[in-house]
Amino acid sequence: MTSLGQLDLDSETAFTLLPELVMLAGVLAIIVIPNLGDATFRLPLTRIRIPILVGGSRLESTNDPRLPNRIATLTFSVAFAASLLMIDSSSEEVGGLLRSDAFSRLFSAIFIGALLLVSAATTHRIPAKRNAAVPKDDDSENTASRKISVLMDNRRQVDFHILLIMVGLGMSLMAMSTNLFMLVVCIELASLSTYVLVAFHKEEEVGGEAGAKYFIVGSAASAVGIYGMSLLYLWAGDLALDSLATKWAEMQGLDPFAAFGIGLMMVAFGFKVSAAPFHLAAPDAYSGASSPISGLLATASKAMGFVALFRVLVMITAPDYGEESSWFLMLAIIAIITMTWGNLAALTSENPKRMLAYSSVAHAGYMLAAISVIGSGLAGEEGTKMILIAITFHLAVLVLFKLGAFLVLALLETGGRGHRMEDLHGLGRKEPLIAGSMFLFMLSLAGVPPLSGFLSKLLMVNGIVSSSADTGSSSATDVYSWMDTVDPVFWLAAAIVINSALSLFYYLRLSLVMFFEEPEKSPKIKSASSLRMAIMACSILTVLCGLGPVSEWLVSLVSTSIDSLMG
Amino acid sequence: MINDPLSVITLAPIAVGMALLILPKLVDSAEGLARASRAISMGVSLAMLAITTMVFLGEIGNVDWTNYGSGYSLTNESFLLIPSIGVSWKVGIDALSFPMVWLTTLLIPISMLVEWDAKRGHLFHPLILVMEGALIGVFVSLDMFVFYVFWELTLVPMFFLIMVWGGEDRRYASLKFFIYTFTASVVMLVGILVMYLYTPDVAGSGTITGHTFDLGVMVSSASGIPSEGLRHLVWIMLLIGFATKMPSVPVHTWLPDAHVQAPTAGSMLLAGVMLKMGAYGFLRIAVTALPESTIAFIPLLIFLGMVSLVYGAWVCMGQTNLKRMVAYSSVSHMGLIFLGIATMQPLGIAGALFMMFAHGIISPLLFAVAGAFKHHYHTLEIGSMRGIAHHSPWLAGHMMLGWMASLGLPLLAGFVAEVTILIAFWMTFGWLVLLPALTLIITAVYYLTSMQKTIFESDDPHHGILPESLHGEDPSDITWHENAGMLILGAFTVLFGILPFIFWDMMSDWSSGFMLEFLTQAMESEGVKP
Repeated sequence: MTSLGQLDLDSETAFTLLPELVMLAGVLAIIVIPNLGDATFRLPLTRIRIPILVGGSRLESTNDPRLPNRIATLTFSVAFAASLLMIDSSSEEVGGLLRSDAFSRLFSAIFIGALLLVSAATTHRIPAKRNAAVPKDDDSENTASRKISVLMDNRRQVDFHILLIMVGLGMSLMAMSTNLFMLVVCIELASLSTYVLVAFHKEEEVGGEAGAKYFIVGSAASAVGIYGMSLLYLWAGDLALDSLATKWAEMQGLDPFAAFGIGLMMVAFGFKVSAAPFHLAAPDAYSGASSPISGLLATASKAMGFVALFRVLVMITAPDYGEESSWFLMLAIIAIITMTWGNLAALTSENPKRMLAYSSVAHAGYMLAAISVIGSGLAGEEGTKMILIAITFHLAVLVLFKLGAFLVLALLETGGRGHRMEDLHGLGRKEPLIAGSMFLFMLSLAGVPPLSGFLSKLLMVNGIVSSSADTGSSSATDVYSWMDTVDPVFWLAAAIVINSALSLFYYLRLSLVMFFEEPEKSPKIKSASSLRMAIMACSILTVLCGLGPVSEWLVSLVSTSIDSLMG
Repeated sequence: MINDPLSVITLAPIAVGMALLILPKLVDSAEGLARASRAISMGVSLAMLAITTMVFLGEIGNVDWTNYGSGYSLTNESFLLIPSIGVSWKVGIDALSFPMVWLTTLLIPISMLVEWDAKRGHLFHPLILVMEGALIGVFVSLDMFVFYVFWELTLVPMFFLIMVWGGEDRRYASLKFFIYTFTASVVMLVGILVMYLYTPDVAGSGTITGHTFDLGVMVSSASGIPSEGLRHLVWIMLLIGFATKMPSVPVHTWLPDAHVQAPTAGSMLLAGVMLKMGAYGFLRIAVTALPESTIAFIPLLIFLGMVSLVYGAWVCMGQTNLKRMVAYSSVSHMGLIFLGIATMQPLGIAGALFMMFAHGIISPLLFAVAGAFKHHYHTLEIGSMRGIAHHSPWLAGHMMLGWMASLGLPLLAGFVAEVTILIAFWMTFGWLVLLPALTLIITAVYYLTSMQKTIFESDDPHHGILPESLHGEDPSDITWHENAGMLILGAFTVLFGILPFIFWDMMSDWSSGFMLEFLTQAMESEGVKP
């Protein structure tokens, strides 16, 4: 095994790691700045007082509980811009473990972009208030508990935002890892932070339950994955991804160590992308966490799982053209079960958050189906590239419309609602712009043209069908005899199409209750300016990424990044 | 603008309509815009009518309508909208789409005129303007993706027209309308995607997928879909989308509900243009792309057409609601279009095209009459009001003209279409023609009975017998703008009845060229040298 290299932080490396360093600085800032005080040091025997900033009572400017949120938002904005700008720069190795190239930088941008939206939403979801009052003895019970919850929200700000930035740091480094060990460590850094974030509302029953479930299942899956990694290490003697790939290509037959190792790692990654049967904790976790965090799990965390799948499954074990890999059939079956299960469960959900959770399971199924086609050996280099572009594009635009939908629910949550279908009733009359955006998100999730969800799904189906295009008898006279001759890969495309049609029902149902049902009597939704701005930005980009120059720019970006992944 | 009139008439109404809808909400100082929005919408729609009329007269684009084979006129220089999957903005018209485009631009100002005093007019009229752009977009786009987007876009304004300005049961009706047509178009989309996935790889086109949504390419390469079975499946998927829009029995049930609840202008556009989108798409895509399957499924077409025709007419006899009756008569007439296409004769196809056009003038007239009736007598029940001729002679006159045209009186537009379809049907299927011909008698029965019950049968020379819904008050006579709108439609009904060749010539040219190409293609795919 290559030594975990020395990290000499010269200016060039610093530039290569700019987004990560920005986030690190953000964490330090959140820890330090709110603690700055007015303590001074008096020079002995003089009257000169030198401010030492640490200790004393807090300064007027640093005593603001809104500060951590602002620092986090600023950090994510800078890091997001930095990663976007670095997509075009050349590939750089850092310390033998990390590589900054177009692929990793695109995913950094996806992760950090999602986190930026989350932190914008948190401004109102976990609000911080200046000059919060302390409960007095003669307060009624209600007033006292309200005051206490405001104080608690204020106290949580620092913890929440540090964890949020740690998620970003872990994910971003994970995308850059060229070593399996580093990859797993980074995934754990991000995962452990998300476990806490899911359980953040621990004083509510659902929050505690969600966090506990998510943590237990998640850590079990990670343990299995790490065991798989140790088997791979026994087999190869090295965990660098490149040498694993070489070793796999040289392998005669299927080495049991390698096969078990990869298989067990799939359990860990399968949990991250919420593939059946490892998805069972997901709906509970999503519905118990606050909506922005659920959105984070459904987009960034899922994207992280797919990066791991790309790195391990596709880059190490992809078969040569014409050979079927050992995992093709299994992954294909898992994919079909995942998407069907997700959609069927979503059809019957009465809680919009659970519904979106199951829809996210279904989307994982579509993407897994596309990955499994790579394993069929029919795709060839062109086909593999097309499929990887489709999945990456889908993961990128998913941040817009899936997270956008969760942000709409977050807006409802600021008024204590958002857990029942009835909470959406009549939204179209009260909040036409928000309901219109939600409608757009639903249509895009369902894959209706010309929205970005359609483009990504079309690219996926196209990749699958063109892989099976040469099979299938052209002389068959009826559908049945043609279906007999076509390669099973074609059925994956058919399954995606049928499942998308099925999913239309629940997406439309959610949309229609917003416009058709009479609104319940409920308090007005708060103005929550930055959350609304985030929703608007998501809905505008959902349209733009499906059509015209913006979508073209994004597709070319994705295509460059896939080029750099495939070397 | 002169170089590309079609993009202008598609995009300008949408842009102006959206601006009128949104700007007053966003900018406070734009309140004056809301007050002027009715006049602006009317102005824009009249400008669009002027453009299409000038195109017809040869003032713009110098289109030669006298010698029309195949190919598109007034095409623009296409540019890519989504290069990665081969979507481009490409428009053009031919003799199949032009009458529909002209009809749309004619009906929009008239429907605005008829509902000139609609409630919340600052939203109503811009919404109709958006509708105009979407409808024209369906007819002129030569890219299947854009076609589909416009196809779905037409749902949105119509949905809101029914939902906001509709009658008592508007929620049920708009929901049913949306679910039926949306589900059907999704099935159609799957068919379109299968066609897309088998388009040839155009080298150097810069697409990632290697395919294109260009309508011409998709249609000509549809024969490359492997296996006859898959081609038939695609054809059926397309048929489901188009037949639901038309609508044909058994997927017609959304239409009567939507019509009864929709506001007058909504009904006029729904019957006048939206139903024709189904027939247009069927001819443009399904029949052209898959001639073999079309020939194989002619019995199905005849069956659907016959059932729609007979069932629609039969049900009409039992209707007591004026709008519901007119809606079912639309189902019946759309059945005739299927029969015309099923003949696979140039005459039959031209008849079907003329039926699309004639029905597009007559049925808006009927719905304008029904709307005015509802507006002034507060009821749609046939027989509750007797002797309109005494009370509102103008309304009675329009009603009479509309119904006569719809039942196919010679010298009115409907007659030309019906008679050509029946002749072509006789030429192909012989005495089977008796069934559609006899159905025309049913049509006459229900129209004449209703006529007797509403227009006549009253001895009171001043009032007629007023319906109970008025509670004994005197109804007002129809307003000047309703009268003007119906007069224009009536005038065109007569004009195209006496001088059908204005559009008939180009339609028949197109049909001959179309059939020639169709038969050649069908024979080639059968392996016969033509």
